[in-house]
Amino acid sequence: MKKASKKIILLGHFGVGKSSLIRQFVENTFTSDYKVTIGVHILKKEVEVAPDENVSLIIWDLEGYDDIKKTRASYLLGTHGFIYVFDVTRPATFENLKNDIDYLTNQYAKTPLKIVGNKADLVTKTYLKENANMFGVQPNFFTSAKTGTKVDELFTTLAKELVK
Amino acid sequence: MTEADKLALLKDLLLTDERAYAESIHSKIKALEEVINEQKRLSQKVDPIIDERLDEFIEEIPETLGPTITEALAEQIKNSKDQVVEALYPIMGKMIKKYISQEINLLTERINQQLEDSFSANSWKRKFRSWFGGVKEEELLLSELAKISKVEQVLVIEKNSGMLIGQYAKAETIDKDMVSGMLTAIKSFVEDAFNEQSQNLELIEYELYHIHIQSFVSFYIAVAISGEYNLTFKNKIQDIIFNFTDNFLNLFDDLSQIKEEVITNELEFYFSTNEKSL
Ligand SMILES: Nc1nc2c(ncn2[C@@H]2O[C@H](COP(=O)(O)OP(=O)(O)OP(=O)(O)O)[C@@H](O)[C@H]2O)c(=O)[nH]1
Ligand SMILES: [Mg+2]
Repeated sequence: MKKASKKIILLGHFGVGKSSLIRQFVENTFTSDYKVTIGVHILKKEVEVAPDENVSLIIWDLEGYDDIKKTRASYLLGTHGFIYVFDVTRPATFENLKNDIDYLTNQYAKTPLKIVGNKADLVTKTYLKENANMFGVQPNFFTSAKTGTKVDELFTTLAKELVK
Repeated sequence: MTEADKLALLKDLLLTDERAYAESIHSKIKALEEVINEQKRLSQKVDPIIDERLDEFIEEIPETLGPTITEALAEQIKNSKDQVVEALYPIMGKMIKKYISQEINLLTERINQQLEDSFSANSWKRKFRSWFGGVKEEELLLSELAKISKVEQVLVIEKNSGMLIGQYAKAETIDKDMVSGMLTAIKSFVEDAFNEQSQNLELIEYELYHIHIQSFVSFYIAVAISGEYNLTFKNKIQDIIFNFTDNFLNLFDDLSQIKEEVITNELEFYFSTNEKSL
C-alpha cells in the first residue's frame, strides 16, 4: 500500500464555511452555529486516490481574512494544495475573487488550487447558472457544507491531483 | 427754463447722484476696511485665548472624554478584532519573550538549588556508590536527573510545511501529523511575533510537558519531555539531537527519501539507548 502525506490549506473570507467544509469532509457533520477560527486548526483525513493508494491530507484551516495578502505567509509555506472558498450568498466574499486568485497563482504557480463557491444550498441551481459571470472567475465546485454536496468530490479531486 | 438751465439741472442731478453714490460706496468700503482691520485686531487678541482654551481642552480630555473614549475603543476592539490583534502582535511577542526568559531564569535558580542540594548529603552517598560501584559520579548524577525527566516523543518535522518526516514515541498517543502541524503553526506564530528574523522558538511548555525545539535549516526536531526540564537535561538532549543529525540525518540530501520506519528506528536508538545510559 502506497501512502503519502500532503498539506492543503483552506483560504477565504470570514464565515464562508471553511471550517464547516472540513468538518463535513472529516466527520460528516454540520452545525449552524458559527465558531470563528482563531489562528489555525489542523485536521487530517486519509483519502483513497487509487486502488491500493492512499493519501493523508493534512488540512490547515486558517482564520478568515478579507485580504488574502494578510494571511500569515509562514503558514502557506510548503503547501501542496489550496482550496479558496467564497460564499455564493455574500458578494463581499467574491468581489475580489479574481485578484485573490491571481495573487495565489502568481505566488504559488505550481501549487494546485481549487476555487469553491460554498453555501450552494441557499440558492438555486438556476440562479448559479444564470449568474455564472458574477464571480469573476469560474469556480471549480459549488459546495454545501450543510448538505454535503460536492464536498467529498472537492477534496478527493484535489488529493488525486497532488499525487499525480 | 432755458436749455442751459435744463442742462445745468440735469448735470446737477446727475452729478449729485453720482457723488452720493460714490460717497455711499466709499463709506461702504471704509466700513469693510474697518471690519477687516477690526477682525485682524480682534484675532490678534483672540487667537491666544483660543490656543489656550484648546490646550486646556486637550489636557482635560482624559477626565471629561476619557470614559467615552474608552467605551468607544472597547466597541472598536470588539468590531475589529483583526486589526487589534495585528497591532498587538509585536507587544505580545515581547511579552512572551520576557515571560520565557524569566521562566528560564527561574529554572536556572531551581537547578542551581538542586545541584547544591545534591552536592550535600546526597553527594556523599553518590560518592560512595561511585567508589564502590566503579561508576563515574557524574553519570550517577545524571541518572538521578533522568529519573525525573523523560523523553516521551521525538518528532522530526519539515520546517516550512510542518509535515512530519519521522518520529519516535514511547507510547502512541495523539495524532502525530496534527501535532507536527500545530507545533509548526505555533512556532511560526511566535517567531513572527518576535519580529526578529533569526529568533527561533526553543521551548514550549504544555501542561506537564516541555517541548524542546531544535531548529535546523530545512527541518526541526521537537522533543516532548515529561518531568523536569533543566539545563543539564537540555544540554544532554541537545547532544543527542546533534549526534542523531550528524551521524544519521546529514547522510541524506533529501529527507523525504528516508523511510519513516528507518527514522523511527534511528530515533529510538539514539534517544532510548542514550536515556538508559543516563
Ligand atoms: N446554509 C449553509 N450554511 C453554512 C454552510 N457552510 C457554513 N455555513 C454556516 O456559515 C457559518 C460560518 O461557517 P464556518 O465554517 O465557521 O466559516 P469559516 O470560513 O471557517 O469562518 P472563519 O473561521 O471565521 O474564517 C456557520 O454558521 C455555518 O453554519 C453551507 O454550506 N450552507
Ligand atoms: Mg473557520
